[in-house]
Amino acid sequence: MNHDDWLAALTGELRRHGVGPDLTGHVVAEAATHLAESGEPPLRVFGPPEAYARAVADSLGGPDQRPPRRRPGPVRLAAQGVTKRYRGRTVLDRVDLTVRAGEIAAVVGANGAGKSTFLRICAGLLSPDSGTVRIDGTLGYCPQDGGTAEFLDPDEHFVLVGAGRGLSRRTARRDGRVKAAALDWTPPAGTQARHLSGGTRQKLNLVLAGLGEPDVLLLDEPYQGFDRGTYLDFWHEVWRWRDAGKAIVVVTHLLNQLDRVDIVLDLTASRERVA
Amino acid sequence: MDQERRAQWLRGVLDLCVLALVSRGESYGYELSQALRTHGLGTVQGGTLYPVLLRLQRSGLLSAHWREGRTGPARKYYRISPAGSAALRAATTDWNAFALSVGAILSEEPKR
Repeated sequence: MNHDDWLAALTGELRRHGVGPDLTGHVVAEAATHLAESGEPPLRVFGPPEAYARAVADSLGGPDQRPPRRRPGPVRLAAQGVTKRYRGRTVLDRVDLTVRAGEIAAVVGANGAGKSTFLRICAGLLSPDSGTVRIDGTLGYCPQDGGTAEFLDPDEHFVLVGAGRGLSRRTARRDGRVKAAALDWTPPAGTQARHLSGGTRQKLNLVLAGLGEPDVLLLDEPYQGFDRGTYLDFWHEVWRWRDAGKAIVVVTHLLNQLDRVDIVLDLTASRERVA
Repeated sequence: MDQERRAQWLRGVLDLCVLALVSRGESYGYELSQALRTHGLGTVQGGTLYPVLLRLQRSGLLSAHWREGRTGPARKYYRISPAGSAALRAATTDWNAFALSVGAILSEEPKR
């Protein structure tokens, strides 16, 4: 990789990591100066562009392009006293969660803490033993895996799910492709879902969840199999949704994003409190 | 020397070393990397050094400005701020006490 290629790649990676245009210019110019003066290869001095961009972003303490915060809107999701037992074991014990328009709630907890169960109950796919979930508005749900049809290609998925949300074929396809582009993905025409990689299938799932701009988004660890760049794209997409006034619930086990969400529901803590 | 341990030590003190070098007069990244080597700290790559400079700048301990060189490209020069000088003084005292304690433990005669 020569200097110019490396610097161009660095520019792109810095943008991806949420570094603003001014600072990106300074960082790239400073690296160019160093390379010119030392005469050393960029990979040896700075490492791969992605890794260096991450180091720069980390030294800023997070992206400096955080979306402006707005006042949250009306309540979109209200879960009250949700309780679920499996074979005598209490998985969820009187769990409450309220999410308003323009808010992100993170559901965290150890494996088996009932994160996915809670989300499936919120999505209406599973009934609680007691408690209620009230959703105000339309709903998009992204499961942890599955959720795609093996023998349909991405465009056919967009059309199928779009139809369920009142979108025309054309609108659904266009909307799907725009949302895919935000995840740095160009859906291949005619490739059936079973031939897509796990990470790509998750991109498809995520796009489907957001199709038709639902008011409430339920995302169950949707970034499995994403590389680091796509993972960052994913969070930018979530912040964009929040800015657009959606209510978002994300199941996650990655705690380093928790300072960027509005509500944290720790299911481990709730079970320990009970025990 | 054990490279892994050396890298660990350096991580803990690199920002202080950079502050100290810049406190002797404004400097830029490439020059600082050479100064670190001259002082026996080996090669500190740009990928390690510049994020440290950025963090020191963002926390207000260093100020920076660009200046055209007579030959070659423009350089980003760093200068220590009053807050940086104060932080360096405090950290130098802390480090000396810390190094003294470690030295005392390591050089203590074993009991018979």
